[in-house]
Amino acid sequence: MTWLDADDSSTPFDAALGLRPELRDLYAAFYGKLWDEELLPADLLELCRLRVAQLHDCESELAVRHAEAGVSDERVAALADWPESGLFSESERAALALAEKMPWRHHDLTDEEYADLRGRFGEAGAVALTIGIALFDANCRLRLAFGAEPVPVEAAMPASGGGPIY
Amino acid sequence: MSTKPRVSSAIAGQEPSFGTALAHQPGLAGAFGTLYGTFWSEGALDHRTKEVTRMRNARVTDCGY
Repeated sequence: MTWLDADDSSTPFDAALGLRPELRDLYAAFYGKLWDEELLPADLLELCRLRVAQLHDCESELAVRHAEAGVSDERVAALADWPESGLFSESERAALALAEKMPWRHHDLTDEEYADLRGRFGEAGAVALTIGIALFDANCRLRLAFGAEPVPVEAAMPASGGGPIY
Repeated sequence: MSTKPRVSSAIAGQEPSFGTALAHQPGLAGAFGTLYGTFWSEGALDHRTKEVTRMRNARVTDCGY
């Protein structure tokens, strides 16, 4: 449920977006492309999605888990303190550094950090990751603005061809 | 804030910009363009409201681009 008068048959977030169905469908297609074109490893995206949600304290986004992404509960539990954890690879740490700064400290991102991303993921990969983190950030801002209540769900992987936005 | 582009242009002959950076991922760029274009061309809000909020968002995020 949100504070909007939306259809309750879907998830609160999806129902709120569904008040503008054309934009909802295009947003879902955009979000789904990030995941289903295998531009980046799904577990890397899932780690960044959850870290961004933690930074926003967005319970609605944190309630969604993509089990198929293959991120263990142990790694999720370590995510809030990832700089001190040994459970994340160097590439994952580089991606999480971007996720750490884009929501609230985007001006603190350095040229050196972005060059490191390009070196690890390639230029196209770095662009995909940056777009992905921007989308995770947008998801949280939308959910918080809508007042979307958290609904724990083991969600299917996002797909550009259709399906709900959890 | 960086004063030089961090991503090269993916479009031959064009200087690096937001659009040419997104072009490194044409599928994502196309999906974004369709969503953003639809937002601007249709919908429940008038253009003035959309532009005012776009400009205010850029000011709040200190985005000179």
